[in-house]
Amino acid sequence: MEKTTYDSLHQAFRQRVEGLKKLPPMEGRDKSIEETIEEAGFSRRDFMKWVSAVTAMLALPATFSPLMAEAVKVADRLPIIWLHMAECTGCTESLLRSANPSIDSLIFDYISLEYQETIMSAAGWQAEENLEHAIERYKGRYILMVEGGIPSGEMESFLTIGGHGKSGRAIAEETSENAAAIFAIGTCSAFGGVQAAAPNPTGAVALSEVTDKTVINVPGCPPSEKNIVGTLLHYLLYGTLPALDAYNRPKWAYRLRIHDLCERRGHFDAGEFVEKFGDNAAKDGFCLYKVGCKGPYTFNNCAKQKFNQGTSWPVQTGFGCIGCSEPNFWDTMGTVNEPLRDRLYNTVFGGLGADATADKIGVGILAAVGVGVAAHAAVAAIKPPKV
Amino acid sequence: MVAFAIHKELPMKTEQHTDTAEGYPAEITEEMEFTPAYRWQHWIRAVAILILTFTGFYIAYPFVAPAVSSEPNNFLYALMRSWHIIFGFVMIGVVILKVYLTLVGRAYKHERASLGDTLKPKVWIAQIKYYLFMGKHPHLKGVYNPLQTMAYAGLYVTFFALIVTGLVLYVHVYHEGLGALLYEPMRFFEVLMGGMANVRQIHHIAMWVVIIVVVIHIYMAIFNAVFGKNGSMDAIFSGMKWHKKH
Repeated sequence: MEKTTYDSLHQAFRQRVEGLKKLPPMEGRDKSIEETIEEAGFSRRDFMKWVSAVTAMLALPATFSPLMAEAVKVADRLPIIWLHMAECTGCTESLLRSANPSIDSLIFDYISLEYQETIMSAAGWQAEENLEHAIERYKGRYILMVEGGIPSGEMESFLTIGGHGKSGRAIAEETSENAAAIFAIGTCSAFGGVQAAAPNPTGAVALSEVTDKTVINVPGCPPSEKNIVGTLLHYLLYGTLPALDAYNRPKWAYRLRIHDLCERRGHFDAGEFVEKFGDNAAKDGFCLYKVGCKGPYTFNNCAKQKFNQGTSWPVQTGFGCIGCSEPNFWDTMGTVNEPLRDRLYNTVFGGLGADATADKIGVGILAAVGVGVAAHAAVAAIKPPKV
Repeated sequence: MVAFAIHKELPMKTEQHTDTAEGYPAEITEEMEFTPAYRWQHWIRAVAILILTFTGFYIAYPFVAPAVSSEPNNFLYALMRSWHIIFGFVMIGVVILKVYLTLVGRAYKHERASLGDTLKPKVWIAQIKYYLFMGKHPHLKGVYNPLQTMAYAGLYVTFFALIVTGLVLYVHVYHEGLGALLYEPMRFFEVLMGGMANVRQIHHIAMWVVIIVVVIHIYMAIFNAVFGKNGSMDAIFSGMKWHKKH
């Protein structure tokens, strides 16, 4: 049964790759994807190793590796429009600026980015024309990737781009309209991110708020290059959207929590915690829960895919997770390096009083109740109630 | 507090104002206020709340930890979590049982009758005046006074908030069996609350509501037992309450 399913899947992938092969590669490339990877110093063997890893990451059997390799080679047939909304360009930078670019970033760099403000040479009117041209030419075929939250409502004009003075929201709506698939890259476009944090001065919202179409969220600050390229390759092979979780994140990447995949999880269950940074427990690599790790509330695969060519990831370096791939994490996760128990709430008089933790407020109310009880009991002792 | 489900007449003596063979004054009757099921669920719930509060505080911030050593230890945190989960499910069980009994139990019709009292502003005012030492205790149709009914209703809303948030946290640790069954519905609640961090905090704040309600509850129970002089404190142990014959 299973064999048949994989066989038919293999056949479907094959057809899709063959179909893509017939399309012309995007213009403006003087080298093939293979040549680019080879020139960067990766051998064929390195490339096949990478392909096997990506195949496994997408939960496909090893027999799919050669097909995956072919899919990568035709990745430049897919037109991609990348929009920058209200953001820090960190998602783009994290892929483009590495000193030793990985195969992921090389592919990302290479694949046809018809419109990408950071890396395109065009500027001004020409840049805008390129976008209009790309939308028109690849109508219903292009993949839209959006980075950044989208200022909306009364504050929509806080993001205004180009000579036509179009708002970011208008551009996002227009490009979403004709896209074949929409990926929200990074927490800002997936959930609003830092600029949507209270009090959200620019009225920033997630990309999914400005379009009726399904948006695949690839959150993270930044998301790992594997999750971005993996989502793209998944679409390339399947031609359909991946299985999504409750927050429209691809399940293959965001199914489990940081906590579930964490290499320090054993220390958590054992009750072995770092009390403060630099203590002996920290040197022994104990759990970072008490110094504010938000891994238990965060869904991502950082522990498996890691960053910087798979070198390390925050918890491995001894710094707790900050929960960057969760919605509204700036507001809900409390202070970095402090456990969630110590999250501060604006208390009395609209925040005029000191910020307090839930425990402090609870103890305060409990003390007031105690005083009330004692006073009531004292009165009752002197003047018993009428029965 | 007059109407009770099960009414048990005690053997009468011929002489007034003398004690019965069992030691009861003859003009007093003993009545069943709380059925055995009621009392059991109350005390199981009380124990569960105690254990859940302690282990819950520990889970939020492990304030005791074994000394750093290379020796194997007793998995203290996992142990706390298992007791938390065990008593969490005990809690779910008794809360569901109690809600069922309250809604349909024949012996619980006087609990349901309490709702009628909450619709009468006069009873509210009289009850508040009684607690402020300004008036007599009002005559009630049900077993609970309006303040009490509202407090208990609020407490049950809080229990359900704790149960739902608790189950959301549960399904992300235990992915098989019941966890698998509840996974999708609980993720709906997770999204509704805006992510796991909020779920955790709602769980924590709801616990504080329970702690505060419990403290007030214990005081009010003592107050009513001392001044009501009808053995209302005994009732939660033995089920029986004293009642003057008319």
